[in-house]
Amino acid sequence: MDPKFLFMSVVCTGFIGACAATVPPELVNARSAYQRASNGPATTVSPAELHVARQALTLAEQSFKDHPDSYRTKDLAYVAQRKAEQATATASITMDQKSQTKANSDYQTAQGNIVAEKKRDLTLTRTALAESERSGAATAQLLSAEQVARTEADKRAAAAQAALANLAAVKDEPRGLVITLSGSVLFASNQATLLPEARTKLDQVAAVLLSTRERNITIEGHTDSQGTDANNLTLSQRRAEAVKDYLVQKGYQVDRVQARGIGEGRPIADNTSPEGRANNRRVEIIISRDSQASNP
Amino acid sequence: MKSAIKSALFVSAAALLQGAFGAGCGASVPLRTEASTSGIRAAEEVGASNVPRAALHLQLAKEELAKAKGIANDGDKDQAASMLMRAEADAELAVALSRESTEKAEAIAAVDRVRHLQQENP
Repeated sequence: MDPKFLFMSVVCTGFIGACAATVPPELVNARSAYQRASNGPATTVSPAELHVARQALTLAEQSFKDHPDSYRTKDLAYVAQRKAEQATATASITMDQKSQTKANSDYQTAQGNIVAEKKRDLTLTRTALAESERSGAATAQLLSAEQVARTEADKRAAAAQAALANLAAVKDEPRGLVITLSGSVLFASNQATLLPEARTKLDQVAAVLLSTRERNITIEGHTDSQGTDANNLTLSQRRAEAVKDYLVQKGYQVDRVQARGIGEGRPIADNTSPEGRANNRRVEIIISRDSQASNP
Repeated sequence: MKSAIKSALFVSAAALLQGAFGAGCGASVPLRTEASTSGIRAAEEVGASNVPRAALHLQLAKEELAKAKGIANDGDKDQAASMLMRAEADAELAVALSRESTEKAEAIAAVDRVRHLQQENP
């Protein structure tokens, strides 16, 4: 046999033999572990540890090429696998640390927001409380002022009543304070024009009424029974309006004065006697007890 | 004849010296176990035995260290040193896995704390 041919055969056989050598499980595992590590976050998060794992795998691969079945190849592959797993674990550690840092930061921010909100709430509550106290004081002041005003009004009313008693017949009835003025003092017979002397009387009454101008007043005209009902009704209405116009002229609020003709319908005396008929011929001014405007 | 005897004596002496030298060198190089031993100690200190995966690799490291010592006693220092590489790698991985477990638990606790605070203060 040709020696050269024999040498080449031996070399080729050795070469093929090496290529056909079974990859030890340690190296298979190392390759898988490195692939997993390099496909994961270790590439960006723990590149140094991944580099160490790659170097370890390279050593193992080289040893496998040189000595496929040696214990050294297996040990190097085993170490390479552990290095790859270590790179994965280190990446996980780094990511968890970042997560923890972020969570701690979020916690502090949330706490800060809660404290700020509580402070705002406290300020609002204090402001509302102060406002409530001011409002309460203002209301108390208002009430007090109203009470004073009411007391003053009552005093004026009492004074007016006393003054009126000197001018005319005054009676306190359920419908209000009733001032009765004699018809013959105010008007000529069968007339609705105020007599001159009636104006003097009415001036005095008006002066007193104007001191209680917040009250509503109703002016009622009454007649005796002489003449027809229709005539008496019309006459009494005209007389009531004449008194109303005079009081309004003197300054009383027009929407606080009403004029009504009652005619002979409400006598206060016997119409069969001259005195009785004279009494029935009258004008009544009723001062209401409330202060609401009669014509809103 | 004399030169042949001289050559034979020289070769024998050389072989004897080589054997003695080789044996002496091999016997005097101690097995360097510091890296593995300290790695195992570090893993124990971080509580690797309390984390299942870490505990496994800690145990492997100890067994590999013991195996290396045995191989060294049998005279194969190279193989013993190679086994020590395994022990060291397993110990390091045990430390990393133990830390991973701790950091994960702390991260979960931190996230839970934020969630709890947000639930209490909507």
